[in-house]
Amino acid sequence: MIQIIQVLILGLALGGVYALMSSGMTLIFGVMRIVNLAHAAFIIMAAYISFWLFKLWHVDPIVSMAVTMPVMFLVGVLYYKVMFASRADNPRFTDITVLVTFASALVIEGVLSYLFTGIYRSTNPIYATKPFLVGPFFVPQSQVYATAISITLIISLWLFLRYTRVGNAIRATMQNRNSAQVVGVNVAWVSMLSFGIGLAMTGAAGSLLSFIFTFFPSKHVAWIGMLMSLVVLGGMGSLMGAMLSSFLLAVIAAYVSFYWGPTWAPITFYLALFLILLFRPQGLLGKKMDG
Amino acid sequence: MADKTSSEIAVQKPRQPQISKTSLWLRNTVSTGIFVVLALFPLLQIAFDGYNYWLHMLLYVFLYVIMATSWNLIGGYAGYISLGHNVFFGIGAYLSGMVFVFFQISPFLTAPIAGLLTMLGGLLFGLIALRTRGSTFIISTIALVLLVTELLDNWKLTGGTNGLPMSMITLEGQYAKIPYYYYLLVIMILSIITSYLVRHSKFGLGLRAISQDEIKAEVAGIPTRRYKILAFGISGLFIGMAGAIWGNYLTYLRPSIFLPVNIGTTIVLMAILGGKGTVSGPAIGAAIMIAINEFVVAKLGATELNIVVTGLILIFVLLYFPEGIVGTLKAKNLLPSFLDWD
Repeated sequence: MIQIIQVLILGLALGGVYALMSSGMTLIFGVMRIVNLAHAAFIIMAAYISFWLFKLWHVDPIVSMAVTMPVMFLVGVLYYKVMFASRADNPRFTDITVLVTFASALVIEGVLSYLFTGIYRSTNPIYATKPFLVGPFFVPQSQVYATAISITLIISLWLFLRYTRVGNAIRATMQNRNSAQVVGVNVAWVSMLSFGIGLAMTGAAGSLLSFIFTFFPSKHVAWIGMLMSLVVLGGMGSLMGAMLSSFLLAVIAAYVSFYWGPTWAPITFYLALFLILLFRPQGLLGKKMDG
Repeated sequence: MADKTSSEIAVQKPRQPQISKTSLWLRNTVSTGIFVVLALFPLLQIAFDGYNYWLHMLLYVFLYVIMATSWNLIGGYAGYISLGHNVFFGIGAYLSGMVFVFFQISPFLTAPIAGLLTMLGGLLFGLIALRTRGSTFIISTIALVLLVTELLDNWKLTGGTNGLPMSMITLEGQYAKIPYYYYLLVIMILSIITSYLVRHSKFGLGLRAISQDEIKAEVAGIPTRRYKILAFGISGLFIGMAGAIWGNYLTYLRPSIFLPVNIGTTIVLMAILGGKGTVSGPAIGAAIMIAINEFVVAKLGATELNIVVTGLILIFVLLYFPEGIVGTLKAKNLLPSFLDWD
């Protein structure tokens, strides 16, 4: 019994980080219908920024979020401007974005491995390996911090979308791009902003996972599979759906890895992705869409 | 088209003038000439030795021409982009390779069977995955490749990530590549002929209608679902065969050889670069990309830069020349007739 609860705790402690990783991707899809397959590559890029800040100047990875978030925001705005801004009206836009972002992921992977080689990296602040001991249970400090920060960020994002003027404009664009434009939302500007916010989330996620996981440039392929399954399972474009599916799959993967061994854990995500695509492509909390 | 009256359509000129007799003759002679040269090339190796590097490069070209041409059946004609077509490559290689390791039957004999079984797998996957379309379909193909990779990585029988070694062909180094060369050459020619036949059939017309507007195609009475699944299956046939031969050529089965996501992407890139939906496009794209890759690796000496170049070209072509080399040249009537195999 203790073991079963222990596994649940470990799963939940990871869920928050997964949720943060997928929140940006789901936002970007929701607003712009861009399936951002470069998302994981951007996360790794941010993780490398945190890594070098830690290694060179001993900046704590949590503190370095203050650098990675604005940097990734700018990267996002620029990337959107260069790649997608003028093409949002193309009828095959979503298909093209899948390929373009995937190609971008390859470019990022290649540049990162050229600059920093394929060595496994991670930051190791003091809390990275220390646990909290709660009764008989073992709770890794790093994951608790990361999940707490992640949930805070996601709730702030949700509040921002819900209660600010700009947030409302973003949500209006999500619901119906054309109608939003008719009622006076500057859709082009909102799209650019949302892409920036989405990538700011990858900045935060990169900083946080730099001390939870080891990473290397080609790791993004495994993560993008995981992220896609989280985003698709939650319903593409649904922030709460992404959060729900993150915790759900993190816990299931924790049990799979406990009973069958850690090498089988990734299969949980791919199988979930596969099944959800076949039986409920709109996801748990998503609305039906075509394309 | 919808808002034009039928008389307007009737007076529209065809996009391309009819091919003249001379250019048709030129095209047939030149393309046959290319294949004759390719068929005779190994004689140089047999006579003088020292051409193994070129044989190897040509083998690579054949392999990717097969894969890009096959991908084109579903990705180009029907417009269903699959980023996971290398899954067929892996399945074919594993099927034949395992039969070879466990029962000592040469992949040269089992390759066609492996191809057929791969096709069957493609039909099954198509049966479920082709219910989705657009980005959802693309994602499901990536999911397939990741799923199969994980399964093979964890499969004890095939050695998991360590892979399964095969014994080498019992020929001297001077001749060792030649059987593979001819086998892949034949598969390549068959795949190109299939692509041509499909394009000029009612089936191919149906597929192209699907890529234009699937709902209208369905209304017009085209069995869209059956066509898509069939196209997806056929595209697995030759890739599976090529995979069987390639696995034996490398004498090694390992998921990381056949199933990295960037092989799937490279296939897509080649087809799009050359011109998706055309017969010659994927072949030309494959040849060009391999030349570029080889140049980057040989001159710059870094495989990391290889994927950077691949990615940059893909982005550039997608954003500025979505019709690819053949498609763009053809629209401007600049395509030399011997490269126009449509």
